[in-house]
Amino acid sequence: MSNPQAEKPGKLNPARLIVSALKRAGIDIVASLPDKWLTELIEEITGDPAITHVRVTREDDGVGLCAGAYLGRRRAALVCQNAGLLLSANALAGYALHHQIPFLVLSAYRGNHDDAYYYQMYKGRVTRPVLQALGLPHHVVASPGDFYLIEEGAQQAYLTRMPVVLLLTRRALLGDVIA
Amino acid sequence: MKRSVCAGLIKERIGPDNLIVCGLGSTSRAWREQGAPNLTYYASDPMGMGPSLSLGLAIAQPERQVVLLEGDGDLAMNLGVLLTIAEARPPNLKIVVFQNGRYETGGGQPLPAADRLDFATIARGAGLPWAAEARSVEQAGEILSQLFSRPGPSLLVLRVEPEPSPYPAAGPWSQVEERAIYMRRRAGKL
Repeated sequence: MSNPQAEKPGKLNPARLIVSALKRAGIDIVASLPDKWLTELIEEITGDPAITHVRVTREDDGVGLCAGAYLGRRRAALVCQNAGLLLSANALAGYALHHQIPFLVLSAYRGNHDDAYYYQMYKGRVTRPVLQALGLPHHVVASPGDFYLIEEGAQQAYLTRMPVVLLLTRRALLGDVIA
Repeated sequence: MKRSVCAGLIKERIGPDNLIVCGLGSTSRAWREQGAPNLTYYASDPMGMGPSLSLGLAIAQPERQVVLLEGDGDLAMNLGVLLTIAEARPPNLKIVVFQNGRYETGGGQPLPAADRLDFATIARGAGLPWAAEARSVEQAGEILSQLFSRPGPSLLVLRVEPEPSPYPAAGPWSQVEERAIYMRRRAGKL
């Protein structure tokens, strides 16, 4: 019997895979602020009844929200663009170093080789040096094949008691058709 | 109104199970002086994070009422968080803003627009279902009782008088040690 809702064979659904990985990592609270590359992921998060989704107006509120969730012994993640990491530098450093509070950040990695806009490029230039300066562990998720980093990054966050940042490329977020 | 009197009114009106989050600075010190038995997280820096931290805690622990004791400078740093709280609608989050229009810990400098700033109007405009203001001790006592008994996220502004509140000397415990103590107490391990 055919199911009209079924995925076409061979078509990856990165958003669904990411949400599954988040849940396997024990994360059930997600704060988000949109980016074009994050549209499908945020829709998937919104549509998942097992996840409490909180829409924020500034990314550092997502940082605060994740920190508060940890105080309540729950695991949370922030989904945002890398401009949001730059905005949140003070909050990230404060929770990483001063409070030592763990959570996972999933950031669209705009402004790199896979981007197509002048105004995004500065973000690609400065994001990793800033994370380096803050002393925050971070990993590039280059494709869906790297999604193991979601569970491993969450584990690294909880064991190091600091936020861990995943920088997701266009290919990782929007996927490719398997040949 | 003096900060310490307001903190005392709050202490009298909350149950021992209420979780308290203190923004940084003078509000924090006023609450600490009360010696209340409630589990309290002194949020310290970064500034501006009190409301979002409290929201995360309220979502994570829906069975407990979370009371944020917030300074006006901290809230002014990020008014957008009121939209987030209005949408998330945590029934168990109550916010008390101590407003005196000054960055007291920083040396008493005025907030921008301090002479006309009205947080209760801003909160209602952001979509919070209930926000109010108290200018006298009698009023504060009455409205605080309403705040803690009504359902839904709510914000009450207490107009307190300017009182110098210089930095105290560093205490024996670092923030991360305080955090660990908080979490172990919460888990019933201390």
